[in-house]
Amino acid sequence: MIPRPATGRRIVNLLVSVAASLAALSGIFILLWITLMLAYKGLPALNLGFFLNMPTPPMVPGGGLANAILGTLLLTVLATFMAVPIGLLSGICLGEFGQQSRLADFCRFTANVLTGMPSIIVGIFVYGLLVLTIGNFSGLAGAVALAIIMLPVVARTTEDMLRLVPDPLREAALAMGAPRWRVTLSIVFRAARTGIMTGILLGVARVSGETAPLLFTALNSPYMISSLFHPMPNLTVTIYNYAMSPYADWQQLAWGASLLITAAVLALNLLARFVFGEKKP
Amino acid sequence: MTATQPKEKYPNASLIKSAEIAEVIREQKPQTAAKISTRNLSFFYGEHQALFDNNLDIATNRATAIIGPSGCGKSTHIRVYNRIFELYGDQRATGEVLLDGQNILTQAIDLLELRRRVGMIFQKPTPFPMSIFDNIAFGLKLHYKLNKSETADRVEDALRKAAIWEEVKDFLHKPGTALSGGQQQRLCIARAIVVEPEVLLMDEPCSAIDPIATNKIEELIHELKSHYTIAIVTHNMQQAARVSDYTAFFFEGRIIEFGNTKQIFTNPAVKQTEEYITGRFG
Repeated sequence: MIPRPATGRRIVNLLVSVAASLAALSGIFILLWITLMLAYKGLPALNLGFFLNMPTPPMVPGGGLANAILGTLLLTVLATFMAVPIGLLSGICLGEFGQQSRLADFCRFTANVLTGMPSIIVGIFVYGLLVLTIGNFSGLAGAVALAIIMLPVVARTTEDMLRLVPDPLREAALAMGAPRWRVTLSIVFRAARTGIMTGILLGVARVSGETAPLLFTALNSPYMISSLFHPMPNLTVTIYNYAMSPYADWQQLAWGASLLITAAVLALNLLARFVFGEKKP
Repeated sequence: MTATQPKEKYPNASLIKSAEIAEVIREQKPQTAAKISTRNLSFFYGEHQALFDNNLDIATNRATAIIGPSGCGKSTHIRVYNRIFELYGDQRATGEVLLDGQNILTQAIDLLELRRRVGMIFQKPTPFPMSIFDNIAFGLKLHYKLNKSETADRVEDALRKAAIWEEVKDFLHKPGTALSGGQQQRLCIARAIVVEPEVLLMDEPCSAIDPIATNKIEELIHELKSHYTIAIVTHNMQQAARVSDYTAFFFEGRIIEFGNTKQIFTNPAVKQTEEYITGRFG
């Protein structure tokens, strides 16, 4: 037999390589474009006053976004504290105990649907659930909406990471005479912790940039945070409002806020990657 | 080798000194008292039956090797001894497994105490994701109430018994996963013996580590078997011949032959055993 000439395969190989590289480059190019544009337009806005001062009416100089920065931090932290315990427990149920049960299949399906749910729907849901019942927009409702978006991300990541832990490790711990809960808590969880932490950080990064669910729940406020049961200032809705305004100084603040939030999300991703993602579980 | 050349009947017989061959005694039960006796043990993976009416005695403070081709049920068999198979919902065992005369397959058995008494070493080393010290202390804390210095003493003692103390004594705080494969396996042995078990189950303990490390583990098994009852599954025939006192040959879920290791390796009673040992199949 005479081997088929390799020329044809070489050409196909080359074409596919070039196409794949171009596709990857176009993605990176857009990311770079956005980041550089944000840095170019936003950096001038990021002075000390931006972080320390309260917003001012348009045309009044010296305005900052201290309240919105704090508000976004608070909302994200609250949402994290709500979503992480429930998400971790759901993940354990799915990954360790339920596995093939019908309940687990149902939960997994629900979580997958919830992950793909448009965030504005979640906002409207919480609007009906909390805003209408309490009677006004509130930071609490905003945090709940963010938590609902974060929950399936945490649950699914936890499940996936727990499943990556090889069964022999579970067997080894059980073979030592450890009860099942102890095996999960002391051994499996520990083996999967870097992956789970990464998942939580990515979940935080995801919700910290959400706008739509906050429009219907936390709304926004030009004042300092007074309570969880009143509208809560936050960066993303502020960006939405300020960027649409006709005032140059507000637009400038919106650029600054956009840069800040992008940088924060980027930092979270990098943290997830380099601090927690070093070793595979 | 040409066809005319007379074929040596037992090529592996050279492993054992010829003077000893005369001492081979035919028997189907160990001469020492049985620590574990299985009676009509059958095992099912869902619908699939993997073991058929196994009857086997594991002699007290001796090493019993379990050999046989892949998929013959060797591992399945010893995984019943500590009921580790129960981690998976669709696996079940029927029959009796008597540990000191008590059937461990009943619900009345305290599973955690059973697993303290019957330790297990796995094919791949399984260090827990914690420090070397904590790897050993994990089991101690589960089963005993000890103060700090007692714990430290027990940990050191176990690491010494597993012949790894000298290598790790200065790095006890380092993660167990940082050790080499052979060291990890000895760590696992230390972890298993620290809770003072009576039986050690070894499921191909050397198949994932290099020959030098294997050698160390085999030496260790030699030392351990005076204090512990050992059941070792192995693919390595030489290893079975070297470390065990008794050997059981499994084939397709059945125990084909059991006997004194020397006898099995030099003068097997059953043709299948002979063919397996001489490498004609499996």
